[in-house]
Amino acid sequence: MKSFSKMVYPYVIWAAAMIVMPMLMIVLYAFTVKGNSVLTFQFTFDNFIRFFSDPVFPGVLWRSLKLAVITTVICIAIGYPSAYIIAKLKPNSQAMMILLITLPTWINMLVRTYAWRGILSNFPISGEIKVYIGMLYNFLPFMILQIYTSLSKIDPNLIVAAHDLGANNRETFRRVILPLSLPGVVSGITLVFLPAVSSFFIPKLLGGGQYVLIGNLIEDYFISTGDWNFGSAISLIMAIIILISMYITRKLDRKSAEAEAD
Amino acid sequence: MNSSFVKKVSISLLALSLAACGSSGSGGSGSADTETEGVDAMEAYGCNVINVYNWGEYIGEDVVSNFEELYNAKVNYDMFDSNESMYTKLMGGSSYDLLVPSDYMIERLLMEDMLQKLDLSKIPNISALDPDVVDMQKVYDPTLEYSVPYFHGSVGLVYNTNNVDPAEIEEKGWDILLDEKYKNKVYMYDSQRDSFMIAFKALGYSMNTSDDAEIQAAYEWLRKVHETVSPAYVTDEVIDAMAYPNANDPKDIAVVYSGDAAYIIAENPDMDYIEPKQGTNVWSDGMVIPKNASCPALANEFINFVLTYDSSYDNSITVGYTSSNLEVSEELSTTEFDGIDAYVPRVGYEKDEVFRYNSVLVQKLSDLWNKVKIN
Repeated sequence: MKSFSKMVYPYVIWAAAMIVMPMLMIVLYAFTVKGNSVLTFQFTFDNFIRFFSDPVFPGVLWRSLKLAVITTVICIAIGYPSAYIIAKLKPNSQAMMILLITLPTWINMLVRTYAWRGILSNFPISGEIKVYIGMLYNFLPFMILQIYTSLSKIDPNLIVAAHDLGANNRETFRRVILPLSLPGVVSGITLVFLPAVSSFFIPKLLGGGQYVLIGNLIEDYFISTGDWNFGSAISLIMAIIILISMYITRKLDRKSAEAEAD
Repeated sequence: MNSSFVKKVSISLLALSLAACGSSGSGGSGSADTETEGVDAMEAYGCNVINVYNWGEYIGEDVVSNFEELYNAKVNYDMFDSNESMYTKLMGGSSYDLLVPSDYMIERLLMEDMLQKLDLSKIPNISALDPDVVDMQKVYDPTLEYSVPYFHGSVGLVYNTNNVDPAEIEEKGWDILLDEKYKNKVYMYDSQRDSFMIAFKALGYSMNTSDDAEIQAAYEWLRKVHETVSPAYVTDEVIDAMAYPNANDPKDIAVVYSGDAAYIIAENPDMDYIEPKQGTNVWSDGMVIPKNASCPALANEFINFVLTYDSSYDNSITVGYTSSNLEVSEELSTTEFDGIDAYVPRVGYEKDEVFRYNSVLVQKLSDLWNKVKIN
């Protein structure tokens, strides 16, 4: 077994070059003054002061978080019952339903969003609603799949046992099925919330350019303005928010694991 | 692309080749002689590959292949979608032999000492350049040694003549963007540079101002536009959206570049183009050779080749932008683009300006432009 541990080295090198190095450069850019010379650094907090001193930028951050939270909540609200119904079907039908749900994801997300733009341009609805529709469409399958996986792993004997012990359907769901399926919900949240908070092409394509989110700001400062330092500062602020939300979801996960152990 | 447009182009090209045969028989008609004779690039210069970095959809269909054949060379052709993304790529260490940035970006590259002098002895075809375009070039390349104009144009408004009264838009100019009648009927460019240009001009300021009070006033003007007509902020999709309007969401007015307007009007006769009376941004894109080019001699030959009548004609008729080759632009304005004003951008109007590079302003305007777009 020990010899296999060497096989992790390629990944360590990959991670160092492709993940750690770029992260360090973003931190470096975020705390330095703009300039062409890479060798002379001048440290500053100005990029962060600039972000928080104008209410516009925190406003965009707030809007992005709101969009991500609402998207996640609706995904759970639609995704949980769907997954529950699928998990109750016959095995063959289950496989069929899961295939139908994963089918759209075989096509690239960008292409599908372009298609939505064509469809939604026929309806007189606001850019904000269009963005929500695009987000839900793209992220819902992730939520359904996660919840379905944990629901289908529940041993049917547990449900039979709950009924034997006198629990009615509602109690069985509340005290057996729901706690056991929570890990699926938590990983669904991770898979939906994190990409949703940083998404930029869905709002860009569907929002008519009027719906600016934090991801669009970052893109704008890197590509159009060429202000990498401010762009890095915004990226770092977002990274911290993502870390905090991951910490919270992990805590939730642990709680649900404890509930399972009880 | 629309098949009728392709057909039109190929018929015009056929007509051109016939015309070219005719004129070469008559032995030149007093026009600048812009023929090139091919050489074997490897023998002449010791290298036969050049890396060209140009705007997307900005070159004729056969220009590159004709050059490759004539010089027995290989052209690696890359495309960018904004001056800034091109600059970012250069900063990332990419090496190119030829770039086609806009005026202000050439000014910036010159300031940062990233360009090499052209070998003008290899580019005799600059004699074919439109003198008005050379005048514009003097603003960003005062010695005329570092760049050669490629296309030039202006920024203006394309509008649907069925829904917008030409007399009204002529009278109001940029201020038509403040007319409630056109709520949800307007496209604007999602670009701080173009949008603030419009605001500065509408208010009668210079578009190169760095006066804080004027910038604030321009910001408020754009906010007013945002609140009054609620424009959709788009990029290149505006071309297709105006040429083939969506039946459910047609727009009446769009901010566009003159060359795109020429294409839109050629496709959709309901549309027309104006350069507002308050003045606008006149611009030119030029060919430059970076300092770290690997085969600059051949890049100079390429510039000369682009300036030939045939290449310039091919470029201009395919793309719709105005050629810097005077003979080509005069020919096309009376044939393919006859009656399409957008093909002949305004020159010498005192209120029009060339955009200048100003790094402090860029940052200020970016922040403000984001504020405009955020409700």
